[in-house]
Parts: sequence; structure tokens; C-alpha cells
Amino acid sequence: MKMDPFKKDHYLRSKLDEYHVEVPDFPMKPKAKRWERFINLLASPAKNPLEPLITTANGSALVIVPIAGTAAITLIQILFFL
Amino acid sequence: MIEREDELMIAYQNGDAAALDRIYTLLKPSLYSFIFRYTRDEQFSIDIVQDSFIKLQRYKHHYNPKNGKLKSYLFQIAYRLMITKLNRRNKWRTFLPFLFPIAAEELHHADRITIRDAVAKLPEIHRAVILLFYYHDMTHDEIASILGIPKGTVKSRLHRAIQLLKDELEGDYYENGSL
Repeated sequence: MKMDPFKKDHYLRSKLDEYHVEVPDFPMKPKAKRWERFINLLASPAKNPLEPLITTANGSALVIVPIAGTAAITLIQILFFL
Repeated sequence: MIEREDELMIAYQNGDAAALDRIYTLLKPSLYSFIFRYTRDEQFSIDIVQDSFIKLQRYKHHYNPKNGKLKSYLFQIAYRLMITKLNRRNKWRTFLPFLFPIAAEELHHADRITIRDAVAKLPEIHRAVILLFYYHDMTHDEIASILGIPKGTVKSRLHRAIQLLKDELEGDYYENGSL
């Protein structure tokens, strides 16, 4: 016989019952091929890998990064051309 | 007891191609709901459902009604496909994190924890057990066969999952008052 561990948990039961899923209409056979799925994955919104460098609490990285970048490029030019 | 979909599968094994369409109509909603509640990814869930039915067609003669219901057999196929894909995706995510879509959790900013969030926060091994038990009315034996774990492990994971869900929803419970 199957014991119901939710029997006494009316609150949890009511919360779980709130979780409805809307099932979209889609065919049994996939329209998109494997590579198309890969393209869809690439086209979906993704995280910016430089996000932690750009957004900081006080925005200091916005000032520091261009200055440091300019200094680095200048240094490279000095080393190569002088 | 032989279920309707089991009879249809036998018909499909015997060459009735239309029986597969009826199986799809009967089992697609529950299979999609399981995958969606587990992953919260609509496109991924659709892909898994479609891939599961492709596999069901390819290995239609592997199904034997004596070994269990068709629903359990199909869920087992889907669960294995889903875990393989998720593991593969996680490996790629480690190397190329910026290639992957933003997770649904990161887009959601509700202050109060919803049941969706609470279920999503459950560790994967506990999530599968509670979803199969509560939403799909499966027995411990069926869950054990789908997940490939012993029956005792199913019971302990179910118990732990309920405890974790209660802990997660506790704040909400006190805000609303006891029922």
C-alpha cells in the first residue's frame, strides 16, 4: 500500500498544488535539426563575461579600466617603437 | 492492471502507427510537466520530450508491459536523456560560461519565495523524487526504476525533500498564518 507522506501537510500540499505548468503545443517530431538547436543556443541571451569588470558598487572600474587600458597600450608602443 | 497507453503501445509494436499519436497525446503533458518542473527551461523540455519519443520509436520492441507501465518506461528514457544533456551542458558551462543563456532564476526578482523557487532550490536528486511522487502519482517502485536507485533511497530522498521544502516555505507559512 502506498503511504502518503503529505497526508498531514495540508499547507505544503496546497503550495504544491499551486505549481501549474502550461504545456505548449509542439509536434512529436522536432522541426529543428541538431545544428539548428545549437544555433538557437548561441542566439539566446547570455551573460557578459566582462560584467564584473564593468559594474562595481561605486563605478570606479568605469574610470580605472580605460585609464589602465590606455596606459598599457602606451607602454606597448613605447617598448616597440623606442 | 494494463493501462490505456500500455494497450496502445502493444498496438504500436504490432504495426499500428496511429497508436503512437494517441500515446503522444496521452503522455506528452505529464512528461513535459516533469521535465519543465525539473529544469524550468521550456525549449530544453520540448527537446527532451521529442527526443524521448524518437527513442521510444527506435526501441519500441524493448518495451515489455510485464516489466512496468509505459509511462514509467517513457519517463525513464526522458530522465536519462535529461541527465545526460544537463551534465554535458554543465561541462560546457564550466569552460565557456558566457555562451549559455541566463538562468530563469536570475531573471526572477520576487521577494517572496514561491513554490517554483522552492522546488528549483531543491538538490537535483531530491527534486526528481518529489516531482514524480507528488505530481505524477508514481509508486516508490516506479520511481526507483526510473531513477535507477534502490527503493529505500527513494523513501529517504522523499522524506528529505519534504523537509527541505517545508524549511524553504517556512517564512511564507508564518506570513500567511497556519492553515
